[in-house]
Amino acid sequence: MIKKTAVVLMLAVLSSLLGGCWSRKEISELAIVLGVGVDLLPNDQIRLSVQIAQPGAFYGGGGARGGGMQTASWAVSAEGKTIDEAARYLAMRVPREIYWGHSMILVIGEKMAREGIGLIGDFFNREKEPRETMWLLVAEGEARDVLECGSILEKTSAQAAAFLTRMKTGFAVELREFAEMLASKGVQPVATRVIVKEQGAVPCAAQEGVATAYRQVEVSGLAIFKEDRLVGWLDDYETRGFLWLKGETFKGIITVPSPGDAYKAVSLRLRQAQTKVVPEYDGERIRFSVKIRTEADMVEQQSFEDLAKPEKIKALESLMAEEIRAMATTALEKVQRGYGVDIFGFGDAFHRKYKEDWRRLKDRWDEEFIRAEVSVTVEAHIREIGMLTRPAFSPEE
Amino acid sequence: MPEKGKIDTKQAIMLSICLILPTAMLSVPAVIIRHARQDAWISLILSIFIGLLVARLIVSLSFRFPDKTLFQYSEEILGRVPGKIVGLLYLWWVLHSNAIAIDEFASLPCVALMPDTPFVAFFIIAIVVAGYAVRNGLEVLSRYIELITPIGLGLMVSLFCLLTTKVKFERLLPVFDKGLVSIVKGAAMPSGWMGEIVLFSMFIPYLNKPREACRVAVLSILIIGIFMVSVTVGILLVFGPDVSSSWIFPVFMAIRAISIANFLERVESVVIGIWVFMGFAKIGVLYYAAVLGSAQWLGLKDYRPLVAPVGIVLLGLAFLCPNIIDLLDFLARAFPPYALIVFELGIPLILLGASLIRGRRGESS
Repeated sequence: MIKKTAVVLMLAVLSSLLGGCWSRKEISELAIVLGVGVDLLPNDQIRLSVQIAQPGAFYGGGGARGGGMQTASWAVSAEGKTIDEAARYLAMRVPREIYWGHSMILVIGEKMAREGIGLIGDFFNREKEPRETMWLLVAEGEARDVLECGSILEKTSAQAAAFLTRMKTGFAVELREFAEMLASKGVQPVATRVIVKEQGAVPCAAQEGVATAYRQVEVSGLAIFKEDRLVGWLDDYETRGFLWLKGETFKGIITVPSPGDAYKAVSLRLRQAQTKVVPEYDGERIRFSVKIRTEADMVEQQSFEDLAKPEKIKALESLMAEEIRAMATTALEKVQRGYGVDIFGFGDAFHRKYKEDWRRLKDRWDEEFIRAEVSVTVEAHIREIGMLTRPAFSPEE
Repeated sequence: MPEKGKIDTKQAIMLSICLILPTAMLSVPAVIIRHARQDAWISLILSIFIGLLVARLIVSLSFRFPDKTLFQYSEEILGRVPGKIVGLLYLWWVLHSNAIAIDEFASLPCVALMPDTPFVAFFIIAIVVAGYAVRNGLEVLSRYIELITPIGLGLMVSLFCLLTTKVKFERLLPVFDKGLVSIVKGAAMPSGWMGEIVLFSMFIPYLNKPREACRVAVLSILIIGIFMVSVTVGILLVFGPDVSSSWIFPVFMAIRAISIANFLERVESVVIGIWVFMGFAKIGVLYYAAVLGSAQWLGLKDYRPLVAPVGIVLLGLAFLCPNIIDLLDFLARAFPPYALIVFELGIPLILLGASLIRGRRGESS
């Protein structure tokens, strides 16, 4: 009897707890942020822009294209002294609870980046919801534009930018990697550049009365930082040179002149690459010898000469090595002479080899980096030549 | 004897692992990395030696007084009143360590997952569940631990294996960057943790093969050490020394960084699961030590009546640190000298010395 009473009492007590559900979050009450943008306004206020997913547009897979893609997301912004303050003002315009956990990109406007990312980076690391694996992008212009434009293939521009970054055609930087580069004295941070422009065309759009071209994102190039301040940009070509020096494998094509005919070109697709940076220090001069080793496939040739011969492939390999060296040297020249910041991590390589000297040099590393001599040697190999031996459409010999 | 149960060697190893590892896993690596940077693993290896030393100390004490726990033989060695004083000190230390464990246990879900839930909710849940296990006796507690430890450790290891895509081995170089002093400083905190093996002396009398006590202590310290080294190296390989030392919960953050083929990601909830299960185990073991110790200290025949009062005391003590900053500061600065020098090395050394001077008298009784 006593046991029964106890059980009943327990049930009654426990059911009283059901009324207060702590931290309850229904998915239909959340505003899921896909991308965040931060701009600095002329009045020194920070403008926080977010792209919020419209969950209805994500049902039903690929079939629901057309009109639906217009409303897949909603971009909205608010201003404040800090990110969190701006987020509070944002909450007055967004009728749901803002959820940061699915944000794929953090876009920093150019002006904000020049003023210093350190002003705003803390929020995205300290707050528990934003993930440190989101991609960090720097917009040429305003970050808000990136979030306010659309995408034809993807549902939203934030996804488009994130997927483009993920393809690793350029240099992709996660927030945690940026934090690591910023903390280390042996490397200056870089971030991927994002541009908004009209590109491509929507066929038959004119008959249906919608625009034929959309403003869409393009992810290319690099933003260079000195500490947390943006100092300049690298274009596509220089970014690839940077990647060679940094030792990051990327997907890409290298085009070199055909061995027998300098006016025709041969394209080579990269398979893999390794870069070794060896510092040498004699107490006065710092020298870095960069050794690049790479493999590529031949994918296209313009001339009719038969390249499927060992000696031709050898010639092609040396042309490829020359081209890679030129790329790396261009990037190095621009960064070392133009910006004077060590974005390649040569300082870290130096630190690994000469840890005692590093203690002395680390606080003026950028000056040392400008004076350092860098020599680049490339060893290139060609593995496959595709489905052909003789070039296609080549006349009878 | 208040406890009649017996545990076998395997259970004892897992019990000792749960005595130390669960809370060490989460925030200790950050503190070590803050001091020793990429040499944190060397600090940890140093701390393994300290752990082995304490284990050796405690086992030789127990061999001199088989069938007696720390609380019983301290009275035997030092006499009634000083022995009681030592017992009281240890009682305080066990309760305090447990309160810290409860505080840590609550802070991860509070900080990372459920910010609106008050700490006290987690405190009460932890104490009630652990108290239930303790009330059911040592065998029940050991069986829970035997069940949960392999799963927890196995899951943790497989999660770290998923991190391979984010790893860069250069982050561990150069070795000996900050010099020996920083490495020793970094070793202080994990040594304090490893030294908690001192409480294994509460369980040695209940081993079904007491002769294996030494093996159990050494093996569990080695397992804990290897596990901690791999976790710390894993964190360093993902974040590098600068970033990983700025996290409060670096293990949790490292697991958050997992992203494989764009669908195997956001697996950190598994860490929370491991944390909760292993956390209960640690709180349970310390709780049990406190309850059994106080029963022996008071000379009671049964320890069960003490479960509820000790639970209330623990709940009160868990509020000692008003926020996580105080907790982390205490753990990083006050804990190593407080725990290591006084309770893990100092008093056991005095006890061993005294018993050696008193000669065979102790053994005969």
